[in-house]
Amino acid sequence: MNVMRQTDDATATAEIKIAAKGVQVYYGDNHAIKDVDVDIADRTVTAFIGPSGCGKSTFLRCLNRMNDTIDICRVEGKITLDGEDIYDKRVDPVQLRAKVGMVFQKPNPFPKSIYDNVAYGPRIHGLARGKAELDEIVENSLRRAALWGEVKDRLNAPGTGLSGGQQQRLCIARAVATSPEVLLMDEPCSALDPIATAQVEELIDELRSRFAVVIVTHSMQQAARVSQKTAFFHLGNLVEFGETGQIFTNPRDPRTESYITGRIG
Amino acid sequence: MTLGMVFLILAALALAGFFLGRGRALAVAGGDARRLHSLPSYFGWQAVLFLALPALGLTALAAFGGVLRHPATGWVALGLGVIGMGAALWNTGTEVRARNIVETCVKGLLILSSFIAIATTLGIVLSMLFETGQFFRQYQWTDFFFGTVWQPNFRGGSDLGILPLLWGTLYISVIALLVAVPIGLFAAIYMSEYAGPKFRSFAKPAIEMLAGIPTIVYGLFALITVGPMLRDYFAQPLGLGTSASSVMTAGLVMGVMIIPFVSSLSDDIINAVPQSLRDGSLGLGATQSETIRLVVLPAALPGIVGAVLLAASRAVGETMIVVLGAGAAAKLSLNPFEAMTTMTVKIVSQLTGDTDFAAPETLVAFALGLTLFVFTLGLNVLALYIVRKYREQYE
Ligand SMILES: Nc1ncnc2c1ncn2[C@@H]1O[C@H](COP(=O)(O)OP(=O)(O)OP(=O)(O)O)[C@@H](O)[C@H]1O
Ligand SMILES: [Mg+2]
Repeated sequence: MNVMRQTDDATATAEIKIAAKGVQVYYGDNHAIKDVDVDIADRTVTAFIGPSGCGKSTFLRCLNRMNDTIDICRVEGKITLDGEDIYDKRVDPVQLRAKVGMVFQKPNPFPKSIYDNVAYGPRIHGLARGKAELDEIVENSLRRAALWGEVKDRLNAPGTGLSGGQQQRLCIARAVATSPEVLLMDEPCSALDPIATAQVEELIDELRSRFAVVIVTHSMQQAARVSQKTAFFHLGNLVEFGETGQIFTNPRDPRTESYITGRIG
Repeated sequence: MTLGMVFLILAALALAGFFLGRGRALAVAGGDARRLHSLPSYFGWQAVLFLALPALGLTALAAFGGVLRHPATGWVALGLGVIGMGAALWNTGTEVRARNIVETCVKGLLILSSFIAIATTLGIVLSMLFETGQFFRQYQWTDFFFGTVWQPNFRGGSDLGILPLLWGTLYISVIALLVAVPIGLFAAIYMSEYAGPKFRSFAKPAIEMLAGIPTIVYGLFALITVGPMLRDYFAQPLGLGTSASSVMTAGLVMGVMIIPFVSSLSDDIINAVPQSLRDGSLGLGATQSETIRLVVLPAALPGIVGAVLLAASRAVGETMIVVLGAGAAAKLSLNPFEAMTTMTVKIVSQLTGDTDFAAPETLVAFALGLTLFVFTLGLNVLALYIVRKYREQYE
């Protein structure tokens, strides 16, 4: 592993956006996440890495309470967003999800036009006053997702008619358009070619100026390229969490070292 | 020799043929099945097929030729079968591809079956076309399609205008759909999006049971309960009539009957909308009801339209509920509490009793039937087209 990047000095001082303490997740009897503590810093890209089935997606879905939609799933512990417990009874998960956006592993554009896909979030949250403002949000979001140039002439074409990589960027634009404070991305590049991957990585780097970004990835190079912090999960445990540079050059735990050198996973 | 005897002997021969074929194949291979191209049982099946196909084929031919009862038929069939079986037994060797032969025969059987289904439909259409042609030779087609009076008179000089019947059919069907579509669709949404698996596993079959109730029972329900109730609580107080049989009665009861067509199909279609779309919407901070309204239903809409059209074609073809619920008076009226009737009911009434199959009063039934057939066929084709188009969306 030789692709390293300097960690940003800014991250050291960034405030904590999401704090997870003692999180346990059960799927029925399956204990999928075991006592995980993680702090997600604002304006920082945090990468989750680890072998398949170790619970990265599960943990990610705890952060915007998407696990609520799975009947057998039970979450314990405390997760706070800006100091407020998101599993508190008074918190409306729907509002939480508007603040904590999500991009899924498989592109899932709605069977609507490209425009309507991007305008979906702003419309339901009433973010735009009038058509002109909505147009602007849609254009800006598509630009930020590096898709504007390819679709500006066919905004009324169905989103499902785009290529896989374009669909994924459309989903990113859709998430960005809702102007979340945190963006969760579950393997956003697994369906993309190297060029689209590079574009998305560039986008993630740019998003960092406004949001906290959490990205799950199976590519160690990607984690090293885009993230400032890295968390390594193994069998439901958080094995190691720290500066990306340190994790990849000087891991403290032998399991981390085996994984990043390709011996487990 | 009777036909029954022939079939019995054929069955016995088939059993023997199977074991003979299999045994011979094993013998040729010197007891080692691996040396054969095909497994020994395929040689057995080959013998059975070579026996049965010529024999049964000849019997079918004899039936069409009208010589089924001829004593020679049975013997010839048996003879052909035995020759076929002999050929199959002779056609045994390590290189013989019995498996391919058997599979070709099976494929032929499958093709034949689908051909029979298609041929039947065609036959029905042709016979209807023929009788309808007879009808229009005696009755002006413009009077039939544009006539507003339905007054058959078996002594001649009838008025056979389809419009009152068409109106009754459409009126009742529309009321039925107005009942069934909202109820069926809402039930489907509840069951697929909100209900837990326990409730679903109980409610879905319970609703589908509605489709299993014989329509005559619905008709009784309309006649005994719904009709008088509508008359006493709505029609009479509102001064809209005194008839228990009415378009409303038949429409309401028919609506209940077709609820499961709408709900069951819609439920399947809504369930086929990928979970990832719901996740995508929920992940953007939409509520569950926004997700259903803005993502799930639009995605499922073409399929739902297909379901509604199928239900409509069911409603258009319904007879029993109309006879008992709406009466048999052909009328062109807007009042939903008046008795009216439909094409299906008139088809029945024109063909029951003393009928003369050369008179236009009888033949008109075929013209009505054909019109109805074209109508429902159109609805079905449209529905299938829409459903299929929808299916392509996620693949
Ligand atoms: N919906 C579910 N129902 C039951 N068990 C689940 C469900 N989703 C995940 N699990 C279980 O939770 C554990 C963690 O799964 P998770 O999807 O979080 O892994 P992951 O790290 O994201 O893996 P991958 O890299 O393959 O995506 C696995 O053992 C899995 O079987
Ligand atoms: Mg995953």
